[in-house]
Amino acid sequence: MPRKAVIAGIGHTVFGRLEGRSVRDLEIEAIRMAVADAGFARADIDGLITDPGPAQPVIEGIEPHYLGLGRQLGIDPDFVGTEVLGGASSVSSVQRAVMAIEAGLCSVCLCVYGDTALSASGSFSYGRGAEAVFGFFGATGLHALAAQRHMARYGTRPEHLAEVAMAARANALRTPHAQLKRPLDLDGYLASRMLAEPLRRADCCLISDGAAAVVVCAADRLADLATPAINVLAMGQAHSLSTIANADHFDQTPAARCGPATLARAGITAADVDVALLYDCFTIVVLMQLEAYGFCQPGESGPFVTGGRIAPGGELALNPTGGLMAEGYGGGMLHVIEAVRQLRGTAGARQIAGARLALVSGHGLGMNTHASLVLGG
Amino acid sequence: MNDTSGTIAESAADPFLDASREGRLLAAECRACLHLFLPFGPVCPRCWSINIGQRELSGAGEVATFTVYRQSYHPDFSVPYVLALIALVEGPRMISNVIDCAPELVRIGMPVTVRFVPRGDLVLPLFAPDSSPTRNPEPQGENP
Repeated sequence: MPRKAVIAGIGHTVFGRLEGRSVRDLEIEAIRMAVADAGFARADIDGLITDPGPAQPVIEGIEPHYLGLGRQLGIDPDFVGTEVLGGASSVSSVQRAVMAIEAGLCSVCLCVYGDTALSASGSFSYGRGAEAVFGFFGATGLHALAAQRHMARYGTRPEHLAEVAMAARANALRTPHAQLKRPLDLDGYLASRMLAEPLRRADCCLISDGAAAVVVCAADRLADLATPAINVLAMGQAHSLSTIANADHFDQTPAARCGPATLARAGITAADVDVALLYDCFTIVVLMQLEAYGFCQPGESGPFVTGGRIAPGGELALNPTGGLMAEGYGGGMLHVIEAVRQLRGTAGARQIAGARLALVSGHGLGMNTHASLVLGG
Repeated sequence: MNDTSGTIAESAADPFLDASREGRLLAAECRACLHLFLPFGPVCPRCWSINIGQRELSGAGEVATFTVYRQSYHPDFSVPYVLALIALVEGPRMISNVIDCAPELVRIGMPVTVRFVPRGDLVLPLFAPDSSPTRNPEPQGENP
């Protein structure tokens, strides 16, 4: 008999600069919280899927990431994996857990994000492969190529990008654990240091230390649960691996395919979404996803976000915690966790009244990967 | 993480960069379906043939998109500089730099032509505007 998988537990550490904490220590703190939240014990865990943050090795020597964490946890699970979709990996880790449980391979699966990217040495201004010889460095320069196209094609302005950054900062003021609790106005945005035109420092997400975990379990284990389970109504992925050979590569993210397909699988449209947790590594990525998922028409995301529509209390509840731009860089696991809180009705001052449907997205690498979840209470 | 030495060494064996040293812009050409592509690779991404040759390109193209780096991420690159995606007239697209043009005058759709410029141990195909860009460019259309 087919089993249905549900999200049963959530947990995360504080996010910010956590000097002296190891990534293992952070991951285990988040795991203990998530397992306790779900009402399970260590012995119940039979699946482990990890999402190592940007400063963490996916494989260390010959040892894949899940093996190092699993040894530390002292578990011998029936299903394991490490996700390598960049910023889409948290969402895809939950998807993989759902698929494994529904296929009968395991019944209580941990999905774990962790990193010490802020306190780690080094930077994220890495050269982009062979094209580093042209000075192609970092994720900001790459997303700037998309932002420039959006501006030229549609007349999108810095003020539109600013709306996304300002909304994130305003939202974070209601998030007790947010890493960046400092409001941002348009003057502050425009004064923010230009990195790669048209993207400023204020267009970029944070870099953080911290960990976050989610427990996905078979619905037939629900009797064990301490809190109401969250249903996974639809999942989707789409990827663009052909990169710049594809003339559309900087005109849209793979969300343009993933978004409509995922919403259709759930039998809903963007208008039905009560709270949207969209991956927000850069302001432009939020604008492009608003179009891709159908919250507005292609090219209209700039006008759409104007006038406070995505600000706290606005028409569209978007990233109520402040997301990657202000809550903290949690891969995408903090987005999943906030969706669960909103659907449980436990989001405190951020609670969207009557939230029943949540959309969560992940976007990764050089605009190559995308994954999404529709969750329901 | 800012070290590019590995990528430069790796690229040195590339027929693309070997040709650039001789002042020629090359693309990979599929002998089976005639698809032209960059970067060079052992298989045609359109038909999966492994019968791959090369063809010299005109060096003409246009700026498909660009960014002006204002933040320096590597000591070899002083800001500002223009990183651009160039759409070559024969079809392939490549990342390069726009040179001989004030950064604030670079526009999407701007016609450019290749210039071979020494950089370190390499000679790189960079791109310069075909005509002097004006301070008052034409308004940009909906679909450049």
